[in-house]
Amino acid sequence: MLIETRNVWRRYTLGGEIVTALADVSFGVNSGEFVAVVGPSGSGKSTLLNLVGLLDTPDEGTVLVEDVAAETLSDGKRTELRRDTIGFIFQDFYLIPTLTARENVALPQLFTKSASERNERAVALLSQFGLGDRTEHTPSELSGGQQQRVAIARSLINDPAVVLADEPTGNLDQNTGTTILGEFERITDDGTSVVAVTHDRLVTDFADRVVELVDGRIGDTTKETQHVS
Amino acid sequence: MSPKSLADRLPVLSLAIRNLSRSKTRSALAAIGIAIGVIAIVSLGMFGSAFQRSQMENIGTIGNDVGVFPGEDLDRANFTETQLREIRRAAQPADLIAIKQDVRDMRTRDGTAGQTVYGIADPGRLFDVRQGEIPDNWRSGIVVGDQLATIEGIETGDALNLDGQTYRVTAVLEDAGQATLVNPNDAVILPPSRFAEDTYTQVIVLSDTTAEATRTAERIRTAMNDRRERVQVFEFGQLAEQINQLFLQLNLFLIGIGAVSLVVAGTSILNVMLMSTVERRGEIGVLRAVGFKRFAVLRIFLTEAAMLGLIGGTAGVVVSVLIGAGIHSLFLGDPFAFDTLSVIYIVGGFSFGIGSGLISGAYPAWKASRLDPVEALRE
Repeated sequence: MLIETRNVWRRYTLGGEIVTALADVSFGVNSGEFVAVVGPSGSGKSTLLNLVGLLDTPDEGTVLVEDVAAETLSDGKRTELRRDTIGFIFQDFYLIPTLTARENVALPQLFTKSASERNERAVALLSQFGLGDRTEHTPSELSGGQQQRVAIARSLINDPAVVLADEPTGNLDQNTGTTILGEFERITDDGTSVVAVTHDRLVTDFADRVVELVDGRIGDTTKETQHVS
Repeated sequence: MSPKSLADRLPVLSLAIRNLSRSKTRSALAAIGIAIGVIAIVSLGMFGSAFQRSQMENIGTIGNDVGVFPGEDLDRANFTETQLREIRRAAQPADLIAIKQDVRDMRTRDGTAGQTVYGIADPGRLFDVRQGEIPDNWRSGIVVGDQLATIEGIETGDALNLDGQTYRVTAVLEDAGQATLVNPNDAVILPPSRFAEDTYTQVIVLSDTTAEATRTAERIRTAMNDRRERVQVFEFGQLAEQINQLFLQLNLFLIGIGAVSLVVAGTSILNVMLMSTVERRGEIGVLRAVGFKRFAVLRIFLTEAAMLGLIGGTAGVVVSVLIGAGIHSLFLGDPFAFDTLSVIYIVGGFSFGIGSGLISGAYPAWKASRLDPVEALRE
């Protein structure tokens, strides 16, 4: 397993009450796999994504990234592991509005690579996603679909093992969404895994495996038989 | 700025500048706040020192003179010839000028009025002449002070009547200012031989340096005063020292006022940066998600605050130099009369500007760096 959670529990205090966001969740992703995580609002999808993405640590259980237990790492080490193995894509794209497409894509390497190295890689990625002529445009000069492709390019700049996407098609029309999902297929073909948290039926159609979360527990898993190793 | 230059060489600085330019008005206002603080410190400081220098130009010239006056325990009101010789001996090798003083009736256009008259053997050594001249061996004629000459319209060659006796005006003095041991501005000066008595109201001892003046003053005190205070010795050197202290305190007070305004400006940077961290929560979350460590986030925000301080400080220094030129022109007659102290105020004000930017930015930057990425990314 590339990334997995073992018997993970995550609880929050909300208005004085303890809310269990995840209850005893064991979940894993293999190399090159496209997993869709579905479930109603509040079912714990985003919490799972945050744990797998090393943004959060579990109250119980363990999160393993390439066999390293994340909760044993310091914040700095966890940040480094996140930077080197995980790419993020968000519903609102979350591009920095003052930076050009190229600079946004190069941002994760700001402190790790030389300017020429990161720019070269950023331009190559943007060209790969059909934005070779948009590298010097700021996000406000790009359409939603273009912005999301910039975000995908950004998520890939450090050659991550897995890309985590939170509602990647949530702000896109169906055609654009389909194009974006096509890009995800290309990413997985290159051996990078994709985990997408979604409400969108379209995403589940593209996914190799669909995991359903209900009230913080793993529910139905469909397509699972096809790909479990 | 082309993306290939600043953004590539100094990415954090470039990020900071672009973030500040996002809300131009707000950033400008915060920088103006710092600029005003810097201007207040530097201008008030320079005002104080220029004022001091203009005042010291007057005081400095007589800082080396020692005034000797009859003391409480002197057997009479004025010094006698014998006492004068005693003082002269004590003061040696310093030179001295003995002064007689009297009030006589002077006839003017409006009638007769009491007029202060000094008897000085060589007034040219104490005062500058603006019209006419004082002969080396002065036996006759009269010298008139600046103010009196102006008010009464007196010029050299005119005749003045004192106590029924007529004197020819040989010279009119320059304005001697206010800080003098003997103020001739409103007085007339006669040769000492024109006085009935040979008694002296005061003696002025001339020295080349303040240190020498202090030593001379001490010698006169030792020689003349035992248990009784026969002479009062008045040193301008001491006074100058006291005045210096006074100016120092005045300057500190003025700079203190300036510093308060810089604290206010710092608060506005604190406010701007706090608002910025709240507004850019999502962005901070993304930076953390894509692998920026806490320190990197801290650096970005701190750089922004420092930039506000730098921009405000620079603007403040430019305006302060202009104001300084105005102040110098007003007090010292030379707009470029910047001395070391002015430069210290400029450098100090600039450093305080950047410093207050950094200090005010420290808390918001720390807050931004401690933000939980999960919280930050939650809509």
